[in-house]
Amino acid sequence: MPDETDPPFDLAGCLARVRQKDQQAARQLVDHLYPLVIRIVRSHLPRRVAEEDLSQEVFLKMFSRLAQYQGAVPFPHWVSRIAVTTCIDHLRAQKRRPEFRWADLSENEAEVLDAVMTNENDVPANDAMAAHELVHKLLGQLKPDDQLVIRLLDLEQKSIAEIAQITGWNQSLIKVRAFRARRKLQKLFQELRRKERS
Amino acid sequence: MNSHPNSPRHPWARLTAAARTVHDDRETSAPYAFSTRVVALALGRETKMVSLFDVFALRALGVACLLAIFSVVVNFGELSRRLSGPPQGPALVEDVLPPVQDAAAVVLALSD
Repeated sequence: MPDETDPPFDLAGCLARVRQKDQQAARQLVDHLYPLVIRIVRSHLPRRVAEEDLSQEVFLKMFSRLAQYQGAVPFPHWVSRIAVTTCIDHLRAQKRRPEFRWADLSENEAEVLDAVMTNENDVPANDAMAAHELVHKLLGQLKPDDQLVIRLLDLEQKSIAEIAQITGWNQSLIKVRAFRARRKLQKLFQELRRKERS
Repeated sequence: MNSHPNSPRHPWARLTAAARTVHDDRETSAPYAFSTRVVALALGRETKMVSLFDVFALRALGVACLLAIFSVVVNFGELSRRLSGPPQGPALVEDVLPPVQDAAAVVLALSD
């Protein structure tokens, strides 16, 4: 954790030194950006992929593309974009998404899902973790790009403009993906309800 | 149940509202020696790419040298003839240079 008395990190100076192959500056850059990258990686982590491996891949891509960075967007945004696209590439590579089944849910998760589908009450605070797990399992049923949009919109509560900045997609495309993802979620809930009744 | 996932009473909206209250308390600072490993790998890759380029550049230089030597050997007689004495009129030039024909004229003649 950085000490409060530490001077602010000189990103521009560090980048200039990294471009001159300064290894110490490169290590400082990785340490500085790691919290940003690991948060993205953790929230979009595909199954069976270690978070450290994925963050390492993000940093390797960052170094290999550093010459292409022209400063049009702030450097952390540029790195975020690399992290997001790397995660999406891994999610796409998974190909088949496992079917969402009641039987795969824990007892607590099944109870929470049953409760939200049968009444209009908010999820109790002590069931928040189960709701969190459920949301991630339901998101896993969406296509990687749709998953990303819904995660950023509904869980991280980003605006469309912010998502456009993070992903590099245009705003209309993001709206289309959000619409498509919500429709899929709606179908999923209907299907779950039908299965529950049967 | 409210039918649109955008609605705040939809099950999805209530689930995500609850999920947002869960805070991720995991460590976010880089693990020990992570940056050293990543930097070593990144710089190692660059060196590898540069050395690969070097190999190709040297090969290209070698091939260019061989071609230059070959062209000197093939044209040595002609070059030495030209360098040994002054040109002796237009007849000699015609001997050296192949007759140039108009390609369009040749095609037209053939078509006739």
